Amino acid sequence: MSSNSDHQTHHDRSFVSNQQHQSTAVIVPPPCSHLAEFKAGRGVAAFGKLLECIQVRPLGRASVRRQANEIFHCGACGQLSLRLYACVSCPAIVCEIHAPDHEHEISIDVDRAELFCRSCGDQVYDRDFDSAIVLSQSAAATLGGCNSLCAPPPENLRKRRRVDYRPWTPDSRERALLGSNSTLLPGNDEDTSSNWNFPVGLKGLNNLGNTCFMNSVLQALLHTPPLRNYFLSDRHNRFVCQQKNGAHERKNKNPQRLCLACDTDALFSAVFSGDRKPYSPARFLYSWWQHAGNLANYEMQDAHEFFISMLDGIHEKVEKDEKKSHSQGSGECCIAHRVFSGILRSDVMCTACGFTSTTYDPCIDISLDLIPPEPSGRNTNTNTKTKTKIDSQLTPTLVGCLDQFTRPERLGSDSDQKFFCQRCKIRQESLKQMSIRKLPLVSCFHIKRFEHSPVKKLSRKVDRYMQFPFSLDMSPYLSSSILRGRFGNRIFAFDGSGNENEEQDFSSEFELFAVVTHTGKLDAGHYVTYLRLSNEWYKCDDCWVTRVNESIVRGVQGYMMFYVQKMLFYKATDKI
Amino acid sequence: MSSPAENTQLASHLFDELLGSIIMDVSSECHRIARLGLDRNLDDEEEELKLSAQARARVADPSNSEANSKYVVDIFGQTHPPVATEIFDCMNCGRAIVAGRFAPHLEKCMGKGRKARVKSTRSSTAAAAHNR
Repeated sequence: MSSNSDHQTHHDRSFVSNQQHQSTAVIVPPPCSHLAEFKAGRGVAAFGKLLECIQVRPLGRASVRRQANEIFHCGACGQLSLRLYACVSCPAIVCEIHAPDHEHEISIDVDRAELFCRSCGDQVYDRDFDSAIVLSQSAAATLGGCNSLCAPPPENLRKRRRVDYRPWTPDSRERALLGSNSTLLPGNDEDTSSNWNFPVGLKGLNNLGNTCFMNSVLQALLHTPPLRNYFLSDRHNRFVCQQKNGAHERKNKNPQRLCLACDTDALFSAVFSGDRKPYSPARFLYSWWQHAGNLANYEMQDAHEFFISMLDGIHEKVEKDEKKSHSQGSGECCIAHRVFSGILRSDVMCTACGFTSTTYDPCIDISLDLIPPEPSGRNTNTNTKTKTKIDSQLTPTLVGCLDQFTRPERLGSDSDQKFFCQRCKIRQESLKQMSIRKLPLVSCFHIKRFEHSPVKKLSRKVDRYMQFPFSLDMSPYLSSSILRGRFGNRIFAFDGSGNENEEQDFSSEFELFAVVTHTGKLDAGHYVTYLRLSNEWYKCDDCWVTRVNESIVRGVQGYMMFYVQKMLFYKATDKI
Repeated sequence: MSSPAENTQLASHLFDELLGSIIMDVSSECHRIARLGLDRNLDDEEEELKLSAQARARVADPSNSEANSKYVVDIFGQTHPPVATEIFDCMNCGRAIVAGRFAPHLEKCMGKGRKARVKSTRSSTAAAAHNR
């Protein structure tokens, strides 16, 4: 169960402790001897009546009050201290100064609902205690019953079965089949050995006239591991597909109805053929323009729009073919969604009573606003912001943008944005918070660098540099982590972190494999893609493929960044 | 009525308590985050930021040839002209087209885009009527 991380992260510690059923990346510290002794033989009931005295403020923390509005004083000195502890074993209340004098060891911080051990002089943690607190907090957030915590997951969230990797080689029958049904690729005219020192799928794409927006995205998709594997494994055979549809189309007298997936298959075949001359994706352009009529003109298009449009084209065709109408979130409908589709969770919380309404939506990528990070960090969630003081200016970072994306946002400053609370029965100010319920195999982050303001009738490009990491841990943005942060980081199996723990520990680590950059002005710019293959970086500038140092890539202006789940990422393989 | 001096003292005392309470809240939360292993690995993040700052400095450096040079040969030893010269047949009209000018040709050929005019012939209007 060891992780392959190059660097020490807190995940490593979670593998060391033998706890099962943890929330993502949480380690439960072993109890101090005093706490262990206290709980021995009493189990959950140890904290007794005090757990019935939990009061929860809407969206706020839990506190302990035996009567409403009870005001505590220290039994020893009578002071209203900043820290007052209610003993779990007797009715005494003590302040932090007099806690060591009290006969019993374990007490509860009345304002923060945290356990305190007077012998250790430290805050201590217990799973049963936390669970009880969370259940009280969640009861407050729902119409009587846990909904947002134990909400039924979206219907289309199929639990991904983990399959162990098994190396495969063809047996004699398969070998014979391969031999009789395939032909060897022609060798190159040039020095064969030097050409095969580079990854096979590396090939330039000719610019057909302002088509770098298309070339850049195609290069990224050609090297998206699950997509590449799908097409190279002949999962969409264009000859079979065309044969099937040829008969169908003859009836409709519509001979030009082309399949974008077939053209993608052709593209993969050409690019991975081993031939190094640049390829002209003319047929692909023709096919795509048939699908995306409104985007079909000679002007420079937006690479991100093309990306969405192309995936949509693959989806549409495959769905029609196989009559599958699964919702996009499950990823069962087509390879495009299987690879890129994730599920976002949106929570809207009433600020008056805490009632939370939850919705799930599929997403094929995440578009992020490029804003500089705030100087002060947030403290209520699991993240603590780093001060990025480089060049005496705060540098925007991808992680910072993701923090912003999952930050609670206040709605309701205008009266029409107020959310109708089902419990209060009136419109209230609310907080909205996004999180990721299910991560896709491949995460595409789109940085909103192009601003189009219909009001001001102007468009502009945001040129600001944004730092992006080569390895990205998405666990702080998962719904389970966001929920946990919202409920005070208690030890509890939050939404979606039950038996899928192990999977999530592995599957939230991502590796960067492609960066699409845009240089130049809004309407007269140029797209280039940087690819990471076998830990080398290659710059794909239309037909020009060159190798670059990784530090060059760190300094580029990223427009779309493609990350793949680490377990699918081949760090140092031979030729792929 | 209390004197202004007493009021100031009270206000100051109140502020101290509020501030102290906030500090306690933050300490308690951070303590929990640290104990439960939820704190982000700040060392790695610092390292990444340092690397990116170095990278940007290198890119900005005018003497850096790698970042700013024009291409001579690609990694396979090939050179390419500014406009792609490969020739192939248009799949719409069948004419032989130069790759680098394929997109503007296709735009007109398919009748898309602002500058193109759809050629309406008897057969195309008949087909359009049939498909409706």
